[in-house]
Amino acid sequence: MNLTDREILELNEFCGAVVDGTLTDAQRARLAAWLRDSEAARRVYVRALGQSASLHNYAAEMQAEAPDAPVRLQKVLHFSLWWLTVFPAAAALVLGLWFVPRLTENTVAVDAPGAGDFVARITGSKNSQWSGAALPPGARVAKNQRLELAAGLAEITFDSGARIVLEGPASLDVNSAWNGTLHRGTLKASVPHEAIGFRISNPAVDVVDLGTEFTMIADGKGAADVLVLKGEVEAAPRAAADQDTILLREKESCRFASSGVSDVSDRDKKFALFTQPLALDYFSAAINYVHWSFDEAAGDAVQADVRGRPAGAFDLQIKADAPASLAAAHSEGRRQHALRFDGKLYAQAPFPGLSGSTTHTVAFWVKVPADGKGTDAYSMVTWATNSKKLGNRWMGINWNKDPVEGPFGVLRTDFRGGSAMGSTPLHDGRWHHITVVFAPGDDTTPVQVKQYVDGRLESSTIIPGTIRPVARATAKGITALTDVLFLGCRLGIDGQRKERFRGEMDELFITDRALEPQEIVSLMNDNRLPASALAATGFAPGGPGDE
Amino acid sequence: MSPDSHDETESRKRLMALMTRHQRQIFAYIYTLVPDRHDAEDLLQETSLVICEKFDGFTPGTDFVAWACQIAWWRIRYSRQKFARAKVVFDDDVLAAVAHTASEMASELDERHEALAGCLKKLPPRDRELVLTRYEPGSGVAEAARRSGRSMDAAYKALNRLRKLLHDCVTNQLAHPEASA
Repeated sequence: MNLTDREILELNEFCGAVVDGTLTDAQRARLAAWLRDSEAARRVYVRALGQSASLHNYAAEMQAEAPDAPVRLQKVLHFSLWWLTVFPAAAALVLGLWFVPRLTENTVAVDAPGAGDFVARITGSKNSQWSGAALPPGARVAKNQRLELAAGLAEITFDSGARIVLEGPASLDVNSAWNGTLHRGTLKASVPHEAIGFRISNPAVDVVDLGTEFTMIADGKGAADVLVLKGEVEAAPRAAADQDTILLREKESCRFASSGVSDVSDRDKKFALFTQPLALDYFSAAINYVHWSFDEAAGDAVQADVRGRPAGAFDLQIKADAPASLAAAHSEGRRQHALRFDGKLYAQAPFPGLSGSTTHTVAFWVKVPADGKGTDAYSMVTWATNSKKLGNRWMGINWNKDPVEGPFGVLRTDFRGGSAMGSTPLHDGRWHHITVVFAPGDDTTPVQVKQYVDGRLESSTIIPGTIRPVARATAKGITALTDVLFLGCRLGIDGQRKERFRGEMDELFITDRALEPQEIVSLMNDNRLPASALAATGFAPGGPGDE
Repeated sequence: MSPDSHDETESRKRLMALMTRHQRQIFAYIYTLVPDRHDAEDLLQETSLVICEKFDGFTPGTDFVAWACQIAWWRIRYSRQKFARAKVVFDDDVLAAVAHTASEMASELDERHEALAGCLKKLPPRDRELVLTRYEPGSGVAEAARRSGRSMDAAYKALNRLRKLLHDCVTNQLAHPEASA
C-alpha cells in the first residue's frame, strides 16, 4: 500500500510524538493499525525512529567534544564504551558455560509459512456458495487467504476465538487469528472476552473489538457502516480529516467513508435486522478423549476417564523414589485433588497412537511456584515421536527457562529443535489453564502448535531450531518410549533424564482432534467439552477432524 | 600462552572490534522498538552482556549486526512488561512487524546515519543547537525550549519541522550524492 503525501506527513508527526512522548491514545491506536497493516508505513516509522537514534548518537558525541565535557563524559561512556568494563566478567561466564545455545539464522522467529499456517476454520453455513474453490464445513482457512462468498451465510471461527458470520456476496481477507479485512459485503462479529483486541479493517475504518458483537457493512467502494449490537468497539477512521478514534457503544453506529464520518442511513431498520438470530447449520466433529482428574487421595495409580477408547488402558502410574514423596503427591487441586510434582517424582501412562503425527490437543491446569527455577521447567507433559518429520524426537510442553530465547517462565512447547513461545509468565504460584493444539504441518514446518493460556491464544508462531535427527542407534532407545505419555520429567535419548518438573497439575485432557477456541473455554470453565462436540457423530479418518 | 588462552584473547579482540564498530546500529535497532533513550540504553547493556556470553556461538564472516539484533529482539520481548507502563507500547504483532522491517532496513539506516551528519551541518546554527540540545544525554524538549528561549509548544513545532527537514535532506542526499559533494 502506497502512502499519500498527507499520510506521510501525518505519520511523521506521529513519529515525532512517539520520540517526544506526546502521543495521544487515539494517535497510538491509529499508528498501531498503520504499522500493523502497511509495510510502507513501517518503513517511514523505522526511518524516523532511526533518525532520532542517530541524533541521540551525534548529540552525545558533540557533547563529549565540548569544552565542558568532563562532568557529562560519564554518560557518554555509558552509551558508547561501558561494555568494555563488563567484558572480563562476561568472558568468564563464557568460559564457565559448558553449553551455549547456538543462535543462528535458524532461530529467527518467523510465522510458519505456506499451506500449513491455518488461523481459522469454517464452523457453520447456510446455503453458502463460494466463488472459486468451495470451503466445506470444517475446512481450515490459511493466513492471508481471501474468502469470496457468492451467496448465503458462512461462519468463520478464528483461532483467537472471534467468530464472524459472513453474508454473501462478500469478500473477506483472513489476515491472522486476530485480524480480518472486509472488502465488501456484510459481516457480524462476535468476540468473546478471550479474543478482545480482535480487529476488522476496511479501507474506510479499523474496528478494534473490546468484547462485543458488531456488524460491518462494506459497500465495496471504500465506505463502511459499523453498528454495535453489544458491548463497545474502538473505530479508527482512515480518512485523514477524522483521525481521532471513536468509541462506539451498544446501539451506536457510524458510517465511515473517505469524505468523513456520518450517520448510518436506515439505522433503526439495520439494527432490527442484525439483532435477529441467524439460523445457521453448525458443524462439530465428534471427539474422543482421555481425562485424568487426579482426584485419587492416595496411592501410585491414577485412573483415566476415557471416551471412545478402552477403559483402563490409559491409567497413570506415579513413579516416586520415596514413600513420603508419593504421600505428598496428592495435593489440593483446582478441582478436588491435583498431582503435585516435587522435582523428583514423575508419572507415565501407555497411550496408543500418541507418538504418531496425528492431530490432538493437550489441556490441563498447572500451578508453577513463584520461586520456580530453570531446573524445574522440564517437562509438564512430554512424549517421544516416531515421526521422521519430527526427527524421531520428543515433544515437550514446558515453561521457558532461557530468557535469551524468550520471556522467562512463559509456556514453551519444544519439538525437533524448534519451539513455540507464549507470553504470560506461569511462575506466579497461581493456577493457569494450558491448552496446546498439535496438528501436522508441511515440509517447511513439521508441526503446527497453537498455545492457549487461560483460554486466550498466545502463540501460533514457530521458532525453528537446528534440525538434529536422532542417530539410528539412539533411535532404538526412543522406540522403547513409543506411545508412552510422561508427566513431570524430561526425555532424552536414554529415556527419562534427571530434570523434573516442580509444580502441580490438575484435570489433564488429551483429545483426538484440535479443539475449537470455544471448546477450550468450555473445558476451562466447566471442566467438560460442550455437549455439541460430545453428541457429534460420524467422525472418521478423512473427516473434518482428521488432519 | 596456552592455545586455549590464545584463542580466548583472539576471540575477545574480535568481539571488541565488532562491538565498537556496530554498537550504534544495535542501539538504533533497539531504539526503533523501544523509543526511550534510557530504556534503549539499558536494553543495549543487557544485550551486550548476552552477546559476550554467547559470542562463541557467532560464526565469523556472517552478519554480526543481524545476529546481535536477534539477541536484542529477545531481550526486548523479555522486557516487555517493564515497558508496559510507557505510553508508547504496541502489541506483539505490531512490534514483531516493525522489528522485521527494521532488520531489513539496517543497511539503509546506516547510509542515512552517515548522510545525516552532512545535513546537520547545513542547518542554521540556532536550529542545529535546538536539535542537538533536545537529543543530548540528560536533556529533552523542555531543556531545548529553555535554552533556545522558546515556549514548549514552539519547541515541539520547531523540532517537528527540523526532523522533517533533516529527513528530506538525507533522502535527497542519498538520491543525488553528487549534488551534496
